[in-house]
Amino acid sequence: MAMKCDLAQQNIALAVYGELSDEVSHQLEQHLLECATCRQEMQAVRGLQAAMALYPVEEPSARLLTQARMRLEEALDNMPHGSWFVRFTQNLTRSVSRLRATPVMASLLLLAGLAAGGYGGYRAGTRAHEAEQSKLVLNLGQPPAAAEDNPAQIANVSSINRDPHSNMVEVSYNRLVPETLQGTMDDPRIRQLLLLGTQNNVNAGVRDDSVGLLAKECRAGRECADGPIRNALMVALRYDRSPNVRLKALEGLEPYIAEDMRVRDSVLEALMKDSDSRVRSQAINLIEPVEGDSSVREVLHTVAAQDDNPEIRTVSRQVLQQLPQIQ
Amino acid sequence: MPADALRIPLPTTVTARAEGRAIQSSQKMPTDVRDRTTETELIREAQQGSRAAFDILVRQYDQAVLRLALHLTGSEQDAQDIHQEAFLKAYRYLGNFRFECSFYTWIYRIVTNLCLDQLRRRKARREDPAVLVDSSGEEMDLLSNVSDDRAGANPDRELERKILGESIRAALEKLTPRERMVFELKHYQGLKLRTIGEMLNTTEETAKNTLFRATRKLRANLAEMR
Repeated sequence: MAMKCDLAQQNIALAVYGELSDEVSHQLEQHLLECATCRQEMQAVRGLQAAMALYPVEEPSARLLTQARMRLEEALDNMPHGSWFVRFTQNLTRSVSRLRATPVMASLLLLAGLAAGGYGGYRAGTRAHEAEQSKLVLNLGQPPAAAEDNPAQIANVSSINRDPHSNMVEVSYNRLVPETLQGTMDDPRIRQLLLLGTQNNVNAGVRDDSVGLLAKECRAGRECADGPIRNALMVALRYDRSPNVRLKALEGLEPYIAEDMRVRDSVLEALMKDSDSRVRSQAINLIEPVEGDSSVREVLHTVAAQDDNPEIRTVSRQVLQQLPQIQ
Repeated sequence: MPADALRIPLPTTVTARAEGRAIQSSQKMPTDVRDRTTETELIREAQQGSRAAFDILVRQYDQAVLRLALHLTGSEQDAQDIHQEAFLKAYRYLGNFRFECSFYTWIYRIVTNLCLDQLRRRKARREDPAVLVDSSGEEMDLLSNVSDDRAGANPDRELERKILGESIRAALEKLTPRERMVFELKHYQGLKLRTIGEMLNTTEETAKNTLFRATRKLRANLAEMR
């Protein structure tokens, strides 16, 4: 089948950059033998390629490279070390503390963030290689050694100073003061607290409720535009230990699968990797209406061949057959 | 590279541990396999908390990243910012890397997304594309080179080259951020469209169309400028 000019012109740009398959390349050659217009087009694109050399890529100067490296070293030195979990929680805490709120509210949110960060710090501590990097030591639930008649719990220990000349050790710690806030789902403070709730590793019920409520908001299309809530649901879908929570997260993400590539990719991942068959089934159901592009098809192929659950394999095959053909 | 080359077990003497010492190995393995397994080990160590391993990983990519950012933004300051943010992000999210793609692709995905953000911010601010800015933030005057008294230098040709270079840059600035990104990665960095698609989280097909649109637009822009 002879190549037409409009296709040829598209292919010329690709040819000049070596991106055509041998077969298409050959077809293009055949077309160019007979078409003067397209030959001119080829010349023009080659000319463009050559012209681009007038703005060449320059090596960064040694000075720039050194400067960049030094700045990076410094920034890395100043970063607290820990698992990605700690980082995520710290990001959350930072965005929460930017919230305009009453002073009591602000200290509650900050302390709640510290508590979550403290727990993450505990996990980081158990994994850290170098002792000097594990600055966070968790002491949850144990009363302070100092003679303070204070019922407040300790959230975490933030620094330790040893006096080399005596037996004195100075420990700085943060206390956690329990508080309560009431409000509707529209209240941004409630939302921020729920976001923190999705990270509560100690209490699955809290996570379940938090993710559930946020997911409901997303399904209703309220205030779920790209941002912390959508991210939190994706994190819950990927990492939460409870399948129920993951299912809820999946439901919350449903409205965004078609439009947001990241959401779609995380659902595809759940389809391939989640240990619970209910989650994988639900993932297939949600993927089904989406445009069948190459990554969706690939995942479905893999699942159809390799999933442990026979029903899931069958359903994947069915969905594959129903997907519209890729152009 | 044949698939079974990947199953060669790591020789026990290959180690990436320690404070920036060079990688040692007692066996000569084919370079790309040794590099790949060494890099995998490095990544795992860095994921477990080794800052030294992370530093070595950074060194393998940071010059290329800076080069890309510099050419894309035309500004030393912006390039440094992107360099910093990219590797800080990599450090932060290293735990998320699950070896599903190459580390190279992963890093570049971070970098290209930061570059895209930068390009979009510039579009919003409508920065004048024809002004060169050096690292101290001072505008460079193209004409100031004419008064340079360098023996053997041809000021007219230098100037002409600079002006032509600027018109190319101006034409590039007129592309949408995505078009600019795809063109940069294809033409100046020589990456395959398939890789570019992966980095920009889209399909190869979309990348092809974007490249085609970019070349069309560039030709139109440059024709106008003449």
